[in-house]
Amino acid sequence: MIEYDSEEQRMVLKFVYYGPALSGKTTNLLRLHDLLAKEGRGDLMVLDTKDDRTIFFDLLPFFLVAPSGLKIKVKVYTVPGQVQHDATRKAVLQRTDGVAFIADSRRSEAKNNAESFGNLERNLAIVGIAIDKLPLVIQYNKRDLPDILPEEEIRRAWGPTGFPVILSSALEGWGVVETFRALAERAYDALDRRHDFAGTHGLTRESFAERLVRRSG
Amino acid sequence: MPTDSEGRRRIVYCVGEERTLRDVLPESEAGALLAAASRAGLRGVRVVDPGGKTLWGSGDDVPPPGEGDPRRPILLEGEPAGSVVLPAGAARGETQDALLALLADTFAAMAHNNLKRMLTTETHTEVVNRSYEELLETNRSLSASEQRYRELAGTLEIKVRERTEELSRAMAQLVQQEKMASVGQLAAGVAHEINNPLAFVTSNLQTLKKYTERFLDIIARYQQVFERGGVVQQDRDDLRKHRESLRLDAISADAGDLLRQTLEGTERVRKIVADLKGFSHIDEEGEAPADLNREIDRTLSVMTHEIPAGAAIVREFSPLPVIPCRPGAFNQLFLGLLRNAFQARQEELRLTIRTGVSGDRIRIAFADNGPGVPADLRTRIFEPFFSTRDVGKGKGLGLTVAYDIVTAHGGTIDVEETPGGGATFVLQLPIQRGHHDQIR
Repeated sequence: MIEYDSEEQRMVLKFVYYGPALSGKTTNLLRLHDLLAKEGRGDLMVLDTKDDRTIFFDLLPFFLVAPSGLKIKVKVYTVPGQVQHDATRKAVLQRTDGVAFIADSRRSEAKNNAESFGNLERNLAIVGIAIDKLPLVIQYNKRDLPDILPEEEIRRAWGPTGFPVILSSALEGWGVVETFRALAERAYDALDRRHDFAGTHGLTRESFAERLVRRSG
Repeated sequence: MPTDSEGRRRIVYCVGEERTLRDVLPESEAGALLAAASRAGLRGVRVVDPGGKTLWGSGDDVPPPGEGDPRRPILLEGEPAGSVVLPAGAARGETQDALLALLADTFAAMAHNNLKRMLTTETHTEVVNRSYEELLETNRSLSASEQRYRELAGTLEIKVRERTEELSRAMAQLVQQEKMASVGQLAAGVAHEINNPLAFVTSNLQTLKKYTERFLDIIARYQQVFERGGVVQQDRDDLRKHRESLRLDAISADAGDLLRQTLEGTERVRKIVADLKGFSHIDEEGEAPADLNREIDRTLSVMTHEIPAGAAIVREFSPLPVIPCRPGAFNQLFLGLLRNAFQARQEELRLTIRTGVSGDRIRIAFADNGPGVPADLRTRIFEPFFSTRDVGKGKGLGLTVAYDIVTAHGGTIDVEETPGGGATFVLQLPIQRGHHDQIR
């Protein structure tokens, strides 16, 4: 968590989209920006990119107000996926409230996915976050491409971990909102335990998620 | 800077810290923009924070803004981070409204761009610092590991030296054993050679002992007769009969032969012992002047029993200068080379030993007509433990011993092909040696 000021009734949360290079993290945020209602969100801030690759991070902020008057801001970040930007990844991962791991579904990318997940585990340990306590969802992106891992194989691999797995095509725009919602729900559970969202702030799991993923139009 | 228990810098930079307008807009930029807006018609315009407190003003002398004054929000990360306010008393109208909206958007754009720049710079700085820290850390661990390897290399050298010394000692011991074994083989042959004459000398002496008893017997008879005081016919007959019964005529004739043969036998043994003594130079400590032709003959003389039957040994000796050397060691060398040749071929062995002087060196060649040494093995046969014989049939040290003796003298040993087939071992020995290569 970035900030919680109980007097000001203000809370700033952080979600991070993690994953190997070019797995579609920025595309996820672009789609969320397009698909979700303007009222609940800010604009997408894209820091410098090079050849279509994020070298710093992207930010898409969301806003909601709990019935108690608690103003909640959710800052959604991407990390740069390339191996050499590990220091930036750590800085972005610092104090996160939830992680969406964006994997590339293509068979050829299996090794990169595994390496990136290993990197996530290491960096979480370095910034002092226990992976088993962290709200974490897995997205298998690029389902529109040929030669991808079949769903059964993915479910068999990730089933035992208990992390929700969502299939998507960020390019075609499906599975993206579902991923964000799943992450929001997992994060709510963790926050509710610590800050009594339901009791003190009258904010249910359902309404927290609904307010974050209000669709435009 | 916070560090962990191992002295590494902890990660402290966190992307996402909230910023106020003051954080992202410098006074100079905001003030200049407000002054320009004032000149454009927004007299007294100012920026307030979300709590209504004035952050920056245009510098015009106007009353503080009130609740109802026209204002426009300045968005930062999608949230109102403050507002531009046109206070009471200022001119108002459509133009001012439009200008106010434009001013708010301009502030938002400036704030947005500054924020982006700040985030980029902060991240970049963090990455650079972090990379630098990591490089320092890498450098530290590399230095430490270099140090470890350096120490390891140091002790490794000592270990290698120790092992090498151990090996050298073991090797020296093996070479010594080889020399002993070589002499042992010689001793076995010599023992056999001594046994032969010794056997018949013993047998002859036993016969001579019996003969002596008979001679003493007849002498005793003669003594009795003389002591009685007279030699009558009866006595003469008795003595003759007794002489005949003792077969004294025959044994008298035989005794001479037996004594001569026995002396021959002991002479043979004496010669063998003398040869051995000559071969071993047992009485000589260190170096002594030696004629190598003579030493070769001495060695040959103690090896007669090892020469295969029917072998032809051709001695093509030229007179050699007497050189100071350790003749015992050289005879050991000749023994090895001669034995090699004797073992090269069982039948029709022809061994030519050629000696001579070539320049300032004595050259000695042992040329056999055996199977020879293949060209690719010629440099290797002098290496320790190199053997073409089956495992267990030779340690591969015979020629190493030869090599050691020759090089200790400052000479060389090589193997060549004998014209017509076979191996020729060539020794080249300096006639005069410098002080630096004294024999070991």
